[in-house]
Amino acid sequence: MANITFKHVVKAYDSRDKKGEKIVVVPDLNLEIYDKEFVVLVGPSGCGKSTTLRMIAGLEDVSGGELYIGDRLVNDVEPKDRDIAMVFQSYALYPHMTVYKNMAFGLELRKTPKEEIEKRVLEAARILELEPYLKRKPKELSGGQRQRVALGRAMVRNPAVFLLDEPLSNLDAKLRTEMRSQIAALHKRLQTTFVYVTHDQTEAMTMGDRIVVMKDGNIHQVDTPQNLYNQPCNMFVASFIGSPQMNFIDAKVEKDGDAYALCFEGCRVPSNKAELADYVGKEVVVGIRPEDLHAEGSFNSSCGFPIHVEMAEMMGSEIYVYFNVNGNPDGKKKIARIPSRENIHSDDDVRLLIDVNRVHVFDKETQAAICH
Amino acid sequence: MEKAIKKYWPIFVLPTLAAFSIGFIYPFLQGLYLSFCKFITIDNATWNGIKNYLYAFTDEAFLHSFFFSAGFTIVSTLLINVIAFAIALALTRNIKGTNLFRSVYFLPNLIGGIVLGYIWQILINCALALLEKPLLAVNPTFGFWGLIILMCWQQIGYMMIIYIAGLQSIPSDYLEAARIDGANEWQILTKVKIPNVMPSITICLFLSVTNGFKLFDQNLALTAGEPGHMTEGLALNIYDTFYGRVGPQWKGYGQAKAVIFCVLVIVISLIQLRATRSKEVQQ
Repeated sequence: MANITFKHVVKAYDSRDKKGEKIVVVPDLNLEIYDKEFVVLVGPSGCGKSTTLRMIAGLEDVSGGELYIGDRLVNDVEPKDRDIAMVFQSYALYPHMTVYKNMAFGLELRKTPKEEIEKRVLEAARILELEPYLKRKPKELSGGQRQRVALGRAMVRNPAVFLLDEPLSNLDAKLRTEMRSQIAALHKRLQTTFVYVTHDQTEAMTMGDRIVVMKDGNIHQVDTPQNLYNQPCNMFVASFIGSPQMNFIDAKVEKDGDAYALCFEGCRVPSNKAELADYVGKEVVVGIRPEDLHAEGSFNSSCGFPIHVEMAEMMGSEIYVYFNVNGNPDGKKKIARIPSRENIHSDDDVRLLIDVNRVHVFDKETQAAICH
Repeated sequence: MEKAIKKYWPIFVLPTLAAFSIGFIYPFLQGLYLSFCKFITIDNATWNGIKNYLYAFTDEAFLHSFFFSAGFTIVSTLLINVIAFAIALALTRNIKGTNLFRSVYFLPNLIGGIVLGYIWQILINCALALLEKPLLAVNPTFGFWGLIILMCWQQIGYMMIIYIAGLQSIPSDYLEAARIDGANEWQILTKVKIPNVMPSITICLFLSVTNGFKLFDQNLALTAGEPGHMTEGLALNIYDTFYGRVGPQWKGYGQAKAVIFCVLVIVISLIQLRATRSKEVQQ
């Protein structure tokens, strides 16, 4: 059993901020990571995701609360006694050791018999296609090969928990895609708990069984990639997950017979969601993903609004169309993903249609989701 | 820019090359020639063949000073580097007051060797007098260890700074990875830290070895080679031969000893550099 449990975990540093108060990185973390699960911690820089991972590793002390690996309280357990392995962003391969030695080092320290070490290292090298490089030093390897050695070093130990701290961020885009699938395959093969930290939401969406979205040390939502995308719990999660990010437009809720209507930019989006009852006559924020806006003629919808195209970016299969609206809660240009066959150019005046079934509504004050 | 440098490289090289030639290469070659001569001033040198070298190799005081210098170098190099590395380890642990300690340990290095020599002569002789032991000038063992103490006092701070720089350049990821791999503090030190500070070890060993053999002003001030040349290092022996005696042959002897000394230091330093450089790694 290698589930990981955070119970009111706090991480604070002794240093103080400008107000003279202790710097609290993680104020109150509660999370259950299940055995054999692949969980991705994601969030912007400084959100506390790496600190959380390092607390699991034992490289950061837990200032308060309880952290369990399996049934064991590990607040004061040394990293070497936690039965974990970690892959670092910088790979952290020992430069004076060969690939073989790097992978065998942890086992040698644990006094594993030589034959067993050799068996495990060769097996890991075979899986990771590192056999030709076993006698090389890290400086003689490419970035992708180093990354695989780092994975191999973790693999040979058969740990209960695999911790990965932005392991792909030093690789180029092509290699990153390759390694993403390798790591996912490795998780399937090893059947071990994986905790993966990244700021790249594409990595999070493609790899995780569940994703933990963090900001300012707080967890905003823990859910499957699909649920995070389709049912974000607030505007932060909605904007963080998805690329390009969700468009936010100020709207007003009006009563429309037995149902309701969201009014913005001269259009009325009908909705029968009961959650909107409390918001009649009030302002809300409507969230529409760029792919849920369509060019007139290619989609059937009663709701739409005219735009002036500020910029059109040809991406190959689609065009990113940038435009402005009046009600603009985040002050950013809005964006629509239109199939490239639509032939839209900068400075065109076009009409965009909304997929009314895929509109998200958020409370303007609390930014929490009202309905999807 | 690169093209211009390639085209006009002699202009860039010339000032340094001229200074190096005038200040080092010419005097070195002239010294080499004079080591085969009898002379009082360099204008009236007369060829003496290899007699100067024959004398140097049969001079018992010179041979004694070689073994004294070799022994001194081995002991001082070991002590200076082990203590400096230990202090550097202690002062890279984020404890309070590290900067103050670093400054304090480095301060003796700012005092000249002659001044330090006289200060330590007073201190050690006072201590010996209190203990009712023979003073430095009459006991070669105390003279040897006095020099060791003095050199440690002077050099440890300097080497400590180099080791601190080396230790701080080790990425913290290596140490954290080792902790997760299961290494204890001793294993982290021997299997991760030391292999990664080999460039610092190379520099410090080189400096300690050359400083040990070249020891002069501290030797002159603390013991002046007493009693009876028993605590005389190579450099002081050469100085004594060259300046301490009257007659044209002594200058030639001194010069021959200086050439032997130079070759010796170069050979030993190269062996040491080769031995430690081979263990250096690129991060």
